[in-house]
Amino acid sequence: MMLIHLVKRDFLIVKKYVLLMFVVCVIIPPFMVWRVPEYAGPMSFVLSAIFAIFMLLQYVSLKEYQYPRASTMLCTTPYPRKLLVLSKYVFCLVNYAVCCVIFWIETFIFAELGGFHFEMPILMFLVLAVFLGVYLPVQYKLGYEKTKFAFVVIIMASPFVFPQLLKMEDGINLDFLNALPPALLYGGIILIGLMILIASACVSVEFYKKTDLE
Amino acid sequence: MDLVLNVSGLNKSYGDFSLRDVTFSIPEGCITGLIGINGAGKTTTLRTILGLTSRESGHIQFFGMDIEKQEQQIKDRIGIVLDDGCFYDELSLNEMKNVIAPAYTSWCEQDFKYYLEQFSLNPKQKINTLSKGMKMKYALALALSHKAELLIMDEPTSGLDPLIRSQLLKILTDYMDNGGKGVFFSTHITSDLDKIADMLIMIDNGRIVFQEEKDSLLDSYRIVKGDMRSLNTDTRKLFVSTSETTFGFTGITKQISEVQKRIPDIIIERPTIEDIMLGSIEGGKNDVNPFG
Repeated sequence: MMLIHLVKRDFLIVKKYVLLMFVVCVIIPPFMVWRVPEYAGPMSFVLSAIFAIFMLLQYVSLKEYQYPRASTMLCTTPYPRKLLVLSKYVFCLVNYAVCCVIFWIETFIFAELGGFHFEMPILMFLVLAVFLGVYLPVQYKLGYEKTKFAFVVIIMASPFVFPQLLKMEDGINLDFLNALPPALLYGGIILIGLMILIASACVSVEFYKKTDLE
Repeated sequence: MDLVLNVSGLNKSYGDFSLRDVTFSIPEGCITGLIGINGAGKTTTLRTILGLTSRESGHIQFFGMDIEKQEQQIKDRIGIVLDDGCFYDELSLNEMKNVIAPAYTSWCEQDFKYYLEQFSLNPKQKINTLSKGMKMKYALALALSHKAELLIMDEPTSGLDPLIRSQLLKILTDYMDNGGKGVFFSTHITSDLDKIADMLIMIDNGRIVFQEEKDSLLDSYRIVKGDMRSLNTDTRKLFVSTSETTFGFTGITKQISEVQKRIPDIIIERPTIEDIMLGSIEGGKNDVNPFG
């Protein structure tokens, strides 16, 4: 129950932006159908999900950065620090679920979006798990400002790194994945995603436990 | 008498500053003041015992329970007021309350409404529109609305006007009258403690200087004023600290009968807590005139 209240807290402190992100999430797929129909479909789902989840997470982190002593205050209450950390992960997963539902409903309204196949949310879940799995522990270790700086550096370096990664990918044979039964493949992806999130949450909790609060 | 808080051998380093072997205890039924000048280690001590900052060593027990093993149960039984609010300023009073209240098993909505009314606070008001005094009152309303048995406050009177300070002191005495088991608060405004404290703990440079009942502490010290000619190497040793001018000296002593024997022409006064605090601070002898 405490966890639910802490997730509610995350929504509350960014309540100004929640509605905005909801609107953005609703608008992106039909907008892409209108302007770039060839990319509508999975791409519009990925874009709207990335936008909503990562922007809202950024706003929550920004508010916590602006009011660091509010987190200190919460740590003086019976809320365990562990739950304060876990609430961030749950917050992002709730946002992700909402994005999935919005896009699923929109596929009924806009036929151009195609169907809402289960592969799409599962692959997106893996992307989300990898991102959160890295981002949140780094943020708990380095703090909001340094993490933002570190990720800006990564984004700036990505045009140089991606071609190298693509070259490396040529050397990796992933054909065996196609031979796997879909249930096993996607079940495995969900499992890997969950394991990444659990491992990441454990690391974040350890970092936050050792943090000296202001 | 049962102890509501027992701290022993607490050590913590913080950059250039460190808490060294901090040991004290707070008996049930007392209002206890943690005094010391700015930077003495009051806030660090409070934050460390609350687990907000890590410690290198030491044991902390609230109500006989170890903070490491039973942190959640302990925090459910204590109310905490940190200096300057510590809230999400963009939320309303009610919204912030909705964040905090679910953490407590004994949250009492009626008490919360009662305190808001008492303090003339509007639950729909945004926190960033509150004055410093109002924020402190709101923090108190939150701390007092879950049947807290011990109230811990960090510099609650700092920066407040005398009227709000006296209201706060009245709230604290009412809280004790209504069944509170203890109040522990840090302050450098010692006049507040003159009025309500039962017990005093002084910290300086990260070390506990003394822990004593206020009345026996005030009884054990005396301020002595006399002629400079009567002050020599031997008589100086009778004083905790002295301040000397061409007109005479003012000193604080714990050996008043001995001083009276050796220096006949003296004026004796009762000290305030501030006199004792400043006299006890080693640096106070050289840097400031503690009895001016």
